[in-house]
Amino acid sequence: MDNNYLPRFVRIVGIQTETYDTKSFELEFVESSAKEGFRFRPGQFIEAAVLGVGEAPFGLASNPNHPLTFRITVRAVGSVTEALHQLKIGEWVGIRGPFGNGFPFDEVKGKNILFIGGGIGLPPLRSLIEPMLDARSEFQDIQILYGARTPADLVYKDRLLEWEKMKDLRFMMTVDVGDATWVGEVGVVTTLFPKAEIKEENTVVFVCGPPIMIQFVIQELIHLGFSPGNIISTLERYMKCGIGKCGHCAIGHKYICLDGPVFSYQEMMKLPEKVV
Amino acid sequence: MEKYSLRKADLNRWIDSMIDRCQVFVPSRIEEEIFFSPVDEAPEMDLLGGTAVLPYLPPKDIVFPQSEILFSYSGKGEETKVEVPEGPKRGLVILGIRSCDTQGIFWLDQFFQENFNDFYYSRRRNKVTLVTIACNQPAKNCFCICCQGGPFLGSESQNFDIQLISFQDGYLVECNSTQGKELIDMRPDIFFPPEAGMEEIRFHLEEESQKKFLPAPTSYMSTAIRRITSNGIPPELWTELGERCFDDGGCSFVCPCCSCFGVGYLANDGKGYHYRYWDSCGYAGFTREVSGHNPREEKGERFKRRFFHKLSYQYLKKDGRIGCVGCGRCITACPGEVTMPLVVERIRKAQEAKYFK
Repeated sequence: MDNNYLPRFVRIVGIQTETYDTKSFELEFVESSAKEGFRFRPGQFIEAAVLGVGEAPFGLASNPNHPLTFRITVRAVGSVTEALHQLKIGEWVGIRGPFGNGFPFDEVKGKNILFIGGGIGLPPLRSLIEPMLDARSEFQDIQILYGARTPADLVYKDRLLEWEKMKDLRFMMTVDVGDATWVGEVGVVTTLFPKAEIKEENTVVFVCGPPIMIQFVIQELIHLGFSPGNIISTLERYMKCGIGKCGHCAIGHKYICLDGPVFSYQEMMKLPEKVV
Repeated sequence: MEKYSLRKADLNRWIDSMIDRCQVFVPSRIEEEIFFSPVDEAPEMDLLGGTAVLPYLPPKDIVFPQSEILFSYSGKGEETKVEVPEGPKRGLVILGIRSCDTQGIFWLDQFFQENFNDFYYSRRRNKVTLVTIACNQPAKNCFCICCQGGPFLGSESQNFDIQLISFQDGYLVECNSTQGKELIDMRPDIFFPPEAGMEEIRFHLEEESQKKFLPAPTSYMSTAIRRITSNGIPPELWTELGERCFDDGGCSFVCPCCSCFGVGYLANDGKGYHYRYWDSCGYAGFTREVSGHNPREEKGERFKRRFFHKLSYQYLKKDGRIGCVGCGRCITACPGEVTMPLVVERIRKAQEAKYFK
């Protein structure tokens, strides 16, 4: 019988400082048996442990087509994330997973794809954006709208610049509050909607970000005529086990760790608690 | 199902044989209360009679300990060593478990063994044989009859190993599993084919017992299930009931079905362990996030959560039964008296008062 509570160990092979409080960690399995890499689906998550400090869930933020190393992007907000930030290249982290349902991929082929990310909500979307770009011809329009509080809060800055230059991808970003160096758009992410000329027809939207942003984005999308089934987002709850046992992340009879974290707005509306 | 008769005078001989091979837990009197305790000799007889003397706690901790080490570790990097503590080596027998608690273990089985099979639960559970004693008499707070939790386990119930039914001077022994059969096969000298007429008397006893349970606080479970399933209970009722909750977690800890846990981490000098411990959805911290945001800040919300898990059809479908077996322990434990029967009654009265649309 598998023991799903036992971590497997990964080595940190790269650290990228994203913002003043956020770092990305590039990870690879230490066991030689795991050299074929880490098989996961876009939108799935892992539990990462610093032994003795604790364990916390992180959305996988890298391209599942390149499984030899994988990435998590971590904002230092609590004891586990702060302990992760102290780690150096070569140090070990315990991980469990991948867990969760993940984003639909084959199901949305042939559609227009609209990504709307806010702040630290971009990392999980990136695990879907990259494989979609790998299979570019199988999707219609792909558009990414990204917002952050300030220019200092933007993650993956190098990659954002590449996305901006790509011809078969429409990319726009904005910040709530600019600074002296910022010459781009200013305003919350929904202010990009008119300029972005988003259209409802044959479009599936993937939304990820802080709860307040998700709430306003969904409101606006519904206002524009999007059907709740075509708005796909992720829910977050405090969780411990990742395998539907500890009970912390349950909403109604759904467990965010098992039945989610990805839900359509249509599914969210059926839950017996208000989630957005 | 195989059936035998066992003389009461032979019960202790059987228990002694079990003790030779297994760790045997029986309801044992400690001061004024009764607890499941491991014994090394056969116990007092009265605790195994047909009268429901309900142990203060269900035997849940035998399969799901209140706290349990998941693994210990030492070292860093290449030197990291992780160790999983060993599970029980010997078989475990829970003897004298009541019907309600047997159904409680059935609920835990369904839950822990679905989807991801819980390693720690299953390695204990797989060692456990249940010898259930059917109840001829209710105890003070029993309402198992409203929850398909007893007082007898029917033959359709697959989840007991052995059920003892107490007669005047003997037991009718119903055996439902190979683990149960192994216990019986230890003492072929004391188990006999049932005597003529025993079967009829069994059903007569069950009927008589059911009648005695009926005047107990009959809970109108079906109304509550219907209302909770459709999310049709006014928030103000939850708020009012929640106000009487002391956030003490008592109901969860004494409940045979409650299974939520937290995970803790201990480190000292490069060594430590990760462990899990019983938790309760009644605690404010149960859903509080690192940012301080808490999706169930209100007591009423937490109260609603508890009863949705226990009584919604969504969960009933998932787990095979409602999450209450009618043992009545929450009645003993809750200082605010917001117990299962009370909540169910309030939902019914709210309906009668046209509280609902």
